[in-house]
Amino acid sequence: MWMLLPQALVDGFLIGGIYITIAIGFSLAYGVMHIIDFAVGEWIMLGAFMGFYLTHWTHIEPLLFLPLVFIAFGMIGYFFQPVIHRVLSGRKGNPLLMALVFTFGLALMFRGLGLTIFGFYSRSIPSGFSADSFMLEWGPFFVTIPTIRFIGLLYALLITVCLQFLLKKTDFGLAVRALAQNKESAGLMGINANRVSSYVYGIYVGISAMSGVLIGCIFSISAQMGSNYTVFSFFVVVLAGMGYLSGVPWAAFFLGLVQSFFLIYLNPGYTLLAVFAILYIVLLISPKGLFGKGV
Amino acid sequence: MRFKKILFLVLLFGILLCLPLMISDAFVLRIITEVFMWIGMAITWDVMAGYTGYLNFGHGAFFGIGAYTTAILMMRGGWAFAATIPVAGLLAGIGAFLAGLPTLRLRGSYFAIATWALSLAIQQLALVLDITGGPDGMRLPPFLNPQFFYYLMLIVVGATFFLLWHLLERAPFGLKLKAIREDESGAMALGINPTKVKMQAFILSAVPAGILGGAYAFWITFIDPASVLSDIITDQAMVMAVFGGLGTLIGPVIGAILIFSFKTYFWAYLSDYQVLYLIILGAVIALTVVFLPDGLWGTISGRLEGRRALKKGLEVRPGAASRPKSGEKSHV
Repeated sequence: MWMLLPQALVDGFLIGGIYITIAIGFSLAYGVMHIIDFAVGEWIMLGAFMGFYLTHWTHIEPLLFLPLVFIAFGMIGYFFQPVIHRVLSGRKGNPLLMALVFTFGLALMFRGLGLTIFGFYSRSIPSGFSADSFMLEWGPFFVTIPTIRFIGLLYALLITVCLQFLLKKTDFGLAVRALAQNKESAGLMGINANRVSSYVYGIYVGISAMSGVLIGCIFSISAQMGSNYTVFSFFVVVLAGMGYLSGVPWAAFFLGLVQSFFLIYLNPGYTLLAVFAILYIVLLISPKGLFGKGV
Repeated sequence: MRFKKILFLVLLFGILLCLPLMISDAFVLRIITEVFMWIGMAITWDVMAGYTGYLNFGHGAFFGIGAYTTAILMMRGGWAFAATIPVAGLLAGIGAFLAGLPTLRLRGSYFAIATWALSLAIQQLALVLDITGGPDGMRLPPFLNPQFFYYLMLIVVGATFFLLWHLLERAPFGLKLKAIREDESGAMALGINPTKVKMQAFILSAVPAGILGGAYAFWITFIDPASVLSDIITDQAMVMAVFGGLGTLIGPVIGAILIFSFKTYFWAYLSDYQVLYLIILGAVIALTVVFLPDGLWGTISGRLEGRRALKKGLEVRPGAASRPKSGEKSHV
């Protein structure tokens, strides 16, 4: 029983890496625009299918397409943001509420489109690393790590570091943080709120879609997969504190560990329920996330 | 004016009561029964979304809780159907209380996420438990009497409608909710306890949904997580309310009638393209939000009111101030 402990820990971190990739862009977009995008899972799904078809046609290693998918979906997000801005700045009713309804409608539409175009079957993106794995031995313990999942963890850490650098060290990052703090004051300081929001939305959509390709290499993809990923990115973001970017990796690793321990030591059928229970308790005790720094 | 409204509603109710005597076609009766059910779902969803300003993405969960309560009590406990209905409503209300406890103190985004997660959790629970039959679902004894279900749904939805109409449009409760929707801290300054009032509204919207779920289970006689707990129930109630007009009671009714008729025709003629239905639902929500934020009824009634006010203003200006009063009297 104890022999599996290192494996459970490592698995938890590997799963956590995937949760980072799906939640970090979402957390960024929430921090700046204060909307919950219900379509986050659908962006992941669309990105995954773009990766699938690119690989299918060219037979090149799918991981090489990551930047291409990022750029393509970044542009889609950049040009899409004005529509959301229009809803958010509406004078009638409650704009935040309407934006939430809007993204929910969007998610439905994308899922329907995905089912129409890609069908109900699940597929997987054939990567050169899919079958590889390496093993670490240390006394009586041993750990098996699939290479592709390890690449996923590296990718997640890389994205986290890049985003932190972008936000903390560049002028653009300063503008984003100012906008997240106070939209009007940031505007008075000469920040073009619309353009910065567009960039942020583009980055978020790009990261989500890019992560979709990676998820497609690790697991299988189907047109219905979106809502599963949406719910997990919600969990991570709520645990981390809504809009608190630095909390995302820790919350993601925490959820990953919970999931891997349930898979190995307890009943896998109750994994999701355990995650729900954790979310409920955290919301009840510390609604601003594990670190109390949410918005 | 109010007298006329009441007269109209009573007349409508009377016509609906006599309808099964005139319609012998079971198919049409069944569709009308289902329209009633969706009206109930849409107006109860609107209590939270339109009046309180909190989006409930897990309304289908309460429907499912009600359906499973009725099914389990009837099949495993041997209860009579009528006895299970209050329990179905009660359990849905308790579910709403538990879900609202951590989230209603917070901002609307948390509530939206939490209710959505709740619906997934209930779905998962129904899949893993033994008592619910897991993915195989449950079968109930068939009770083939379309008239009975017509009257059942009519009474449940009619009672819900009148209760909501009284509470939201005539009693101070509706004003409290609207105050919270417009400005929560302002409402608090007026001596309203927002969390308590929101909780009451949430339970008020969940209980009828549970009762409708119970009635649906007995009517359809087969339930499984894919039918009574699927996301499509929430989605549909949402589209109906948003399309019809949030924050009114008539809007969701109109939305429910239009969307459900559309759905019926769609599934009758285009059943090969069921996925298209999802796209259309999504597109209707998104386009309504962008171009028609008040919904169908909100826009129409806003236009009519504007025109009426304009007309009145034009009449008043040249003549004496007493003229519109006499005109109003002659109408009544």
